[in-house]
Amino acid sequence: MKVVPSRSSEWVRPVTPQKPASAIIEIESVSQVFQTSARKDHVALSDISLAIDEGAFVSILGPSGCGKSTLLYVVGGFVSPTSGSAKIRGRTIMGPGPDRGPVFQEFALFPWKTVLGNVMYGPRQQGVRTTEAEAQSRALIEMVGLKGYENFYPKELSGGMKQRVALARTLAYHPEVLLMDEPFGALDAHTRTRLQNDLLNIWERDRKTVLFVTHSVDEAVFLSDKVVMMSKSPGRIREVIDIDLPRPRRRSELLLDPRYQKYVVDIERMFDETDPVGSPS
Amino acid sequence: MISPAGLARRAAPVLACIGLLAMWQAASLALKNDSFPTAIEAIRAIPDILGDKESLINILASLRRMAIGFGIAVSVSIPLGLLMGRSRAVAAFFNPLLMVIYPVPKAALMPIIMLWLGVGDVTKTLVIFLGVSLPVIYHSFEGAKAVEEKMLWSGAAMGLSPAQRLVRIVLPAALPEILTGCRTGLVLALITMITSEMIARQSGAGNILFNALDMGQYDTVFAMIIIVGAMGICLDAIFERVRARLVRWSEPQFDMPLSFS
Ligand SMILES: Nc1ncnc2c1ncn2[C@@H]1O[C@H](COP(=O)(O)OP(=O)(O)OP(=O)(O)O)[C@@H](O)[C@H]1O
Ligand SMILES: [Mg+2]
Repeated sequence: MKVVPSRSSEWVRPVTPQKPASAIIEIESVSQVFQTSARKDHVALSDISLAIDEGAFVSILGPSGCGKSTLLYVVGGFVSPTSGSAKIRGRTIMGPGPDRGPVFQEFALFPWKTVLGNVMYGPRQQGVRTTEAEAQSRALIEMVGLKGYENFYPKELSGGMKQRVALARTLAYHPEVLLMDEPFGALDAHTRTRLQNDLLNIWERDRKTVLFVTHSVDEAVFLSDKVVMMSKSPGRIREVIDIDLPRPRRRSELLLDPRYQKYVVDIERMFDETDPVGSPS
Repeated sequence: MISPAGLARRAAPVLACIGLLAMWQAASLALKNDSFPTAIEAIRAIPDILGDKESLINILASLRRMAIGFGIAVSVSIPLGLLMGRSRAVAAFFNPLLMVIYPVPKAALMPIIMLWLGVGDVTKTLVIFLGVSLPVIYHSFEGAKAVEEKMLWSGAAMGLSPAQRLVRIVLPAALPEILTGCRTGLVLALITMITSEMIARQSGAGNILFNALDMGQYDTVFAMIIIVGAMGICLDAIFERVRARLVRWSEPQFDMPLSFS
């Protein structure tokens, strides 16, 4: 693992609640090579190593096509890497499981189920009684701001609403690790902010481990303990930045915080170097 | 309240039928041919057929064979098509087989089947089965192939086994496409039903039709054509109702271009 000295040493770190520092997920020299028709052997991921602490909120940031989704799929067990391995609690990940809950970029809702049916699907599968599953699911639907839409079908929802259903559906079966692939990418700024706050609240309450893919630098800084910067062709980890900002984080306070602003500016500069405008992709 | 446009849409099929009958009547009056009775003569012969116990038993026997052939075909073809759509090995095994059977008119197989199984119900039901199977397999296959992978991944993350995913995700996700195949299959069932009775004359609606033809009872022939046509339209309309209910969740892109209901 390439450990980059934490940039936070420049600031005096405030006292934050200590969390167990054992890694729940270990990605060990994972490479993923795709055989494509156009380009032979496209290297999507090249020798990625990363350890994610239990209860940590880790964001993966990087230009489009650098392999962020692919990395998430490897951890999810949906694809097996060409070489290397990913582990959860020391066990090699062989396939998907309810301990890791994905929220896909493409929503992937079940179109034949209503909003409520979608959210209840996981708990029901896990053997939760219908009445109980329904009560929990209704609460989650309300939390993501879709009260009143319980009996709508996915085709009757906007993109942002579908995304919120997808989030609720995954939260409903209480995975230990959330794997979120640009979950707020399709949302308007207002809803995005609200859901970021909601996600932070849930996270601060349950301390689930979150692996969060995003394009947005300030979203990454606002939410994360750690930001993993990736570069593309081939997809590599460029830098890992610890975000030492106090929690609980309030957006209104944070936006005025010079430490927050410095993180954003630094990471944006790094992003520009990784993916210069006009560079051939 | 039905809007004028809605009213027009509902009345259109009725008007088309009336128009067709009127043209028939006019053509028949103009040609004055013995083997081409007028529409009114043909319609007048319908109550005679439907009132005759023997004919009714024949028609019901036809429908029974059709229902059994269709039912077995659907319950075999849907699982097979879905498996083919999700498993490359299964598809590789069955594809060549189906490609050979596909272009062969199922009625052309009848003489051989008759040789083996006789001229009874089994032969006719088997031919109906063959006629229905292929479109249902094909559409189930296409539907299963098109199921979004992330949907299956979501199910896998929730703990669904591969078999559960096939039944609880692939099947419902492919249902609009499957039902399109079933609808084609239903019409083909009617066609193969009549054809099989034409070849193995023994009982059934097709038998009435061709016996009447042999005996020169042309009004009965045409009356039977109307009855079989009406049966087709009714079955299709009922099926379309059921289909629309089952897949009201689906995107309109699955809507059928053609409908009698
Ligand atoms: N199944 C596949 N077959 C071939 N190539 C693939 C496949 N999946 C991904 N790739 C390639 O791997 C690279 C990384 O894809 P990936 O989807 O992980 O990128 P990403 O970082 O998530 O991009 P975005 O931010 O646009 O979602 C891309 O260049 C893509 O073309
Ligand atoms: Mg992606």
